[in-house]
Amino acid sequence: MAVNVLIVDDSGVMRSMIRKAIELSGLAIGEVHQAENGREGLKILDAFWIDLVLVDINMPVMNGEEMIAAMRAREEFRAIPTVVVSTEGSRTRIDRLEKAGARFIHKPFSPEKLRDTLKDLLGSEVFHA
Amino acid sequence: MPEALEREIADVARETLEKLAFVFAADDLPEAAAGADPALRVRVAFQGPRAGALEVALSEAALPELAANMLGVDDPTGLSPDEQTDALRELANVICGNLLPRLFGEEAEFAIATPVALRRAEERAAGTEAADCRLPLESGACRLRLFLEGEPPAGRGLAATQGGGA
Repeated sequence: MAVNVLIVDDSGVMRSMIRKAIELSGLAIGEVHQAENGREGLKILDAFWIDLVLVDINMPVMNGEEMIAAMRAREEFRAIPTVVVSTEGSRTRIDRLEKAGARFIHKPFSPEKLRDTLKDLLGSEVFHA
Repeated sequence: MPEALEREIADVARETLEKLAFVFAADDLPEAAAGADPALRVRVAFQGPRAGALEVALSEAALPELAANMLGVDDPTGLSPDEQTDALRELANVICGNLLPRLFGEEAEFAIATPVALRRAEERAAGTEAADCRLPLESGACRLRLFLEGEPPAGRGLAATQGGGA
């Protein structure tokens, strides 16, 4: 099974870094979609089948926390595995995101941290041996 | 300027540069880099228990290396100005995001604005300049200035005076 990925971050450089780290992780990747903010991310979710969302918090137009809340409010998006990749340092906000079912990776992150988080979240069967 | 605050900012910047972009700090600030105008300066504003902004400037020699390392490309000469600007904006974003909990505690919630590139030397952030530090790099230098609205902080332990956890 190939995993379709959505990366939501307002920095193109960071989206490239996340994409490269996912490729290095050994994840069986299908399509990779990118969005610059939460609203664009929701539009992509409406238009494509997505298996994994990686989302930043601080973004213009719609931030990551708002996007996750919108996803959890819709039955068809509620169960999509979601990883927050952010500089967020507030324990209060991280707890809130984790209660909403999201995993959290702190920037700057290592490719190994991303790989381990994805393996734990998705299971090793979607990774190349 | 409070030395403890400047040390804190320099520590966060050093760690972020190493982990995010494999750019390493040097022991001494090269004289040329100390006097040179930065190639690019960006500002990231924040709102929360305290409002303010962090400005990060990078010298001409360091900017292409930063962008190339972040993007994983061997030849920085092929990078566009937009890519280099975006790399510095993201660097500032990550430094700011990691600095705020160290200054104000892990319970404090901040909204961090999208970093913006500054085109004119006279553009300056609102508030008081609380810290100004220069970090020498293996090639070039990085300058970081913290502006805060209200009283300037005194480094670690600041959160206790702000109602934060730390």
